[in-house]
Amino acid sequence: MDRLLSFAFQLSLFLILAFIALPILVVLAASVSPTTTITFNPSEWTFQWFTALTASRWLDPFLLSIKLAAIVTALSGLLGFLAAYAVAYQKCPGHETIMAFLVSPLAVPQIVKGVAIVLFLSSSGFYSLLGTPGLVMAHIILTLPFVLRMIAGAMYNFDKRLDQAGRILGATAAQRIRFILLPIIKPGLFSGMTFAFILSFNNIPLSVFLVRPGETTLPITVINHMEYSLDPVLAAVNVASLAFILTAILVFEKIGGFSTQIHGGSK
Amino acid sequence: MSSNDIEMISVTKAYGSHRAVNEVNLAIPAGEFVSILGPSGCGKTTTLNMIAGFAHPSSGDIRIRGKSQNGVPPEKRGIGMVFQNYALFPHMTVEENVAFGLKMKKRPIGEIRDAVKHALRRVHLDGYGERYPKELSGGQQQRAALARAIAPEPSLLLLDEPLSNLDLKLREAMRVELKDIQEQLAMTFVYVTHDQDEAMAMSDRIVVMQNGVVAQCGRPADIYDHPRSSFVADFIGKSNLLPIQEVQRSGKDWVVSVATGLSLRAKTPDDTLADPPQYCCIRPEAVRLTMVESDASTSANRLAGTLTRMVNLGAYFDCFVTLQDGTVLKSLVRSTRLPGLTSNQTVFLSIEREAVQLLPR
Ligand SMILES: Nc1ncnc2c1ncn2[C@@H]1O[C@H](COP(=O)(O)OP(=O)(O)OP(=O)(O)O)[C@@H](O)[C@H]1O
Ligand SMILES: [Mg+2]
Repeated sequence: MDRLLSFAFQLSLFLILAFIALPILVVLAASVSPTTTITFNPSEWTFQWFTALTASRWLDPFLLSIKLAAIVTALSGLLGFLAAYAVAYQKCPGHETIMAFLVSPLAVPQIVKGVAIVLFLSSSGFYSLLGTPGLVMAHIILTLPFVLRMIAGAMYNFDKRLDQAGRILGATAAQRIRFILLPIIKPGLFSGMTFAFILSFNNIPLSVFLVRPGETTLPITVINHMEYSLDPVLAAVNVASLAFILTAILVFEKIGGFSTQIHGGSK
Repeated sequence: MSSNDIEMISVTKAYGSHRAVNEVNLAIPAGEFVSILGPSGCGKTTTLNMIAGFAHPSSGDIRIRGKSQNGVPPEKRGIGMVFQNYALFPHMTVEENVAFGLKMKKRPIGEIRDAVKHALRRVHLDGYGERYPKELSGGQQQRAALARAIAPEPSLLLLDEPLSNLDLKLREAMRVELKDIQEQLAMTFVYVTHDQDEAMAMSDRIVVMQNGVVAQCGRPADIYDHPRSSFVADFIGKSNLLPIQEVQRSGKDWVVSVATGLSLRAKTPDDTLADPPQYCCIRPEAVRLTMVESDASTSANRLAGTLTRMVNLGAYFDCFVTLQDGTVLKSLVRSTRLPGLTSNQTVFLSIEREAVQLLPR
């Protein structure tokens, strides 16, 4: 009975993984196929589409997206930490209300946020902020609630007696944050920042309103290209950005060790 | 210039209308091992937290080394603390934990290394420095927490039931070690516990708390021999507590009538009664049990009864003797003294007059 159950678990796990992975395999095959017809015959495979990615029409948006994601990740990590410290850790007056307010952007669809931001920028005369500055701000509005929630969760779980232990040993508030609080909530902080990175790097609904010629993110460039053709270079772009994001997740995980938080592993 | 390390001057801590600590006055001399003892919820932790600075008195003043601590945060009080749950930093090795206090004070690396080694040796944890707290047993964690607290050599150390999670054997071993550390480093210890054996074994002075007030404060032997209330008599050690109905003078003695009709002769050290006594207290070891009637010429109280229950404590028997009037008295009998003692036999008790203590509450 137990073995049957365990077999059922493993089978369903395999099916779920297959369901997630198969479309990616199709894209992978498309990216090495010489024509728009996807082939699974390895002898026909070619890397020409990947070579095409080094052209500046692909490379520039890719670099912009990386820069944007990096800035957004760093800023929303910093802002998220500061907000969580005041709200979840110090429990400042009205902390529950402030928390609800800070995560409220989650309730607004991205497309609505995008329209609102553009309207705000144009009506308030900040039209010049379109492009990178606008993208950074818009993406932070999107990512901050996620980062904040993750850090706040880690802080709610933080054992306040560790802070008391630090105090009685003579540590100042800054020393306690640096040597006790930060190392302990690091997994929460880094998993939040990973979310921010992915959300920013892949974003379409907000970016579409804020890019401008010469300052276009990778996903928007893909969308624009799709209007004219569906050639395999798109598949190559997708494979490249998939590889990049996986690498980024691995790096974040390496530094932050947050997989412990997700699957409860021991470390 | 005061030789008291800690003074609490009518300190009250109120949570809403409930007073967790009520008008406590306390002076703790430098270099003493003082235990705060009392049942759960009596305000021990609250008292300790106020000394540490984690809680603020609603009224009254706390002075440490003669200085009022009003507005002084815990990190500036220069005291150490061992927490009930240890509160070791989980992300640091034992060594890093122990070094933490000195590192925060920016001591030179060499000095820190020596102090850490020294502190770890002192708690018999040398060789465990590289481990993380979760790789230690409960007793080892407790010792690591102690090492962390003593490494910066504070003159004053607060301990909140630090041995409560240990098994009996380890607890007894740690008592000796704690006492040694306190004496060798000439530190003032304020030790919170609800275990009276622990308090008796280690303390120079015991503060017995009851519902937020100090019920009695004194040397362990004084408190044991002369409890000032039935609460203290009951809490410290075992005792036969009998509610008093009437007290009369008879020569140099007091004749005490107990509710059940029993009457006992008592003798107070100074021949006076300050307050009308409510209870009399007789320690079980002061109740001498014999199998034959004792010499009629003694001035002691002589009673007869039936041995209704014997509890084997190893070296001793806890004997429950039911007297004719129904009163049950406990007597402590060394196991080897009366071979052949069995339940349900008639036994005789003698109690010295001095052993019958009269308590006002
Ligand atoms: N933060 C608080 N808010 C309200 N009441 C509190 C608070 N802290 C303690 N109390 C109350 O104050 C009283 C004393 O608590 P305290 O923790 O000092 O007891 P204790 O003597 O340490 O008990 P224990 O042996 O169980 O640890 C208790 O009745 C408790 O309910
Ligand atoms: Mg307590």
